[in-house]
Amino acid sequence: MISAVGLGKRFRSLTAVHDLSFDVGDGEIFGILGPNGAGKTTSVRMLSGLIAPSEGTARINGMELGAQSQAIRAITGILTESPGLHDKLTARHNLGYYGRLYGLRGANLRRAVDRYLGVVGMSDAADRRVGGFSKGMRQKIAIARALLHEPEVLYLDEPTSALDPSAAKTIRDFVATLRDAGRSIVVCTHNLDEAERLCDRIGIMRGTLLEVDTPARLRRRNGTASVRVELVGARQPASFLDLLGDLPFVEGARVVDGTLFVEVTDPRGDNPELVRALVEAGARIVAVREEAVTLEQVYLDMVGEVGERDARSIGEVA
Amino acid sequence: MRPGFIWAVIVKEARDLLSNRLLLGAVVFPALIFAAIPTGIVAFIEINELDPAQLGQIEQYLSQFPDLSPKLAAQGFIVLNFMAYFLLIPAMVPMAIATQSVIGEKTARSLEPQLATPMEVSELLIGKAIASATPAVLATWGVFLLYGFVNGAIADPALTSLIFSDVWRVAMLSLVPLICLLSVLLGIIVSSRVNDARTAQQIGGFIVIPVIGVAVAGFFSGQASFNMQQVMIGNLVVALLIGVALVIGNWIFDREAILTRLG
Repeated sequence: MISAVGLGKRFRSLTAVHDLSFDVGDGEIFGILGPNGAGKTTSVRMLSGLIAPSEGTARINGMELGAQSQAIRAITGILTESPGLHDKLTARHNLGYYGRLYGLRGANLRRAVDRYLGVVGMSDAADRRVGGFSKGMRQKIAIARALLHEPEVLYLDEPTSALDPSAAKTIRDFVATLRDAGRSIVVCTHNLDEAERLCDRIGIMRGTLLEVDTPARLRRRNGTASVRVELVGARQPASFLDLLGDLPFVEGARVVDGTLFVEVTDPRGDNPELVRALVEAGARIVAVREEAVTLEQVYLDMVGEVGERDARSIGEVA
Repeated sequence: MRPGFIWAVIVKEARDLLSNRLLLGAVVFPALIFAAIPTGIVAFIEINELDPAQLGQIEQYLSQFPDLSPKLAAQGFIVLNFMAYFLLIPAMVPMAIATQSVIGEKTARSLEPQLATPMEVSELLIGKAIASATPAVLATWGVFLLYGFVNGAIADPALTSLIFSDVWRVAMLSLVPLICLLSVLLGIIVSSRVNDARTAQQIGGFIVIPVIGVAVAGFFSGQASFNMQQVMIGNLVVALLIGVALVIGNWIFDREAILTRLG
């Protein structure tokens, strides 16, 4: 369980993160989306006990950040932005070293190293020096390193970057099993598709969290949805535009390639009324489909909006 | 301070060093060269008759060995005078290893995952310091023993006694490890400010200047070797410099500074 209240970090005159408040429950994957320089890495470093916050507090599994940072680091696994491996050592020795730093010894250490080399599909390369590994192989070893000591809290920065689709799916599936095992997981990513597939809730960040919700609710809450209405018959779709303009729940309508696109705020509530009004006006409808707002649209709208609204604070953060 | 963490760092650093043949060579070869030069001169003197005229030129030096024959005294002066250079090994080698180690971590961005573990920064630095200093201490001691026994075998056992004198045994056991530690700390401090090992070693190389200065001054003053008082003063000066370096190192190497400036 992660609970942050008003966390902030300043580096001299530069405010990297301010007023960061959120909770991540046991068995939850929380995604942090944000552009470069949004403060994602700084936030993870604060929460994992690597650097001290300038303001605010946080409790990780009941332990207070600052006073118990060493104990917090012991129960935390972190996949850093860069794999940061020791090139001259083999994959096994790399993991063995970190296992010892996390308190594993003897047979437990050997078992954990073998297990997680297997989880990331690197058992065959275990005794090769990582200096000769590809980017993807290094990422897999870094993931194994983060998981080695079975951490209760896990921070993953771009976990599937540099991985092929198959390996990425393996890692996503494994992270999902960790959630099912009750771990609290924070994923920082630019991969919106991955965030949507993997995360229970998403926070969009730019210096602070601008919005936190489930991916579905974020899509619904931000912006209007477009409903695609396909018609047949003699009447031109454009002849219904005046009618649509009179409907109170319609925010806009247009015709593209003979298809009617109607913007409404709540497709589930508004679509039945929309269909009824069109049919009563003589429309022959063959299909009605919601054109979903993508998370990418929500993200870009939100980050762009803040870019204009709060340019000064964003300039400070960046 | 938890020994398990420090030991883990030492083992990791040792594996790293053993896989770097160039660096390993840098540990052993300077020591052998410093020992080989005077040993070669001793062997040359042994197989050649000395010219009494030449002996006259170095009479003031030879007078320091009244109990020895002129030839053996000349050999004794040579072996003792070159011993100051043994202090160059602990001054140079650990710095090369330490700078390589820290800059290697900076380049690989491997400091952050290490600091994300329960290990403290001091444990990481102590592990690195011990791992960097130990090869140089062992190389110096090994070559010191070899130097004593080989010169004794070439010329006369009296040379072995001169080399293994109380002064030099104390210097080897105290001054050598202290200079190693100072060298490592300076290597770490310099490494925190630059991004390539060669530059760090060039800057850090200034540490050898006082050692060479002491050796050259000894030669020109006619003093064959250090006395116990000089060794003790040396210990004190180096210990004080270590204290200063520790304060600076501690300031430079707090967790946050490593992550935000070096990591």
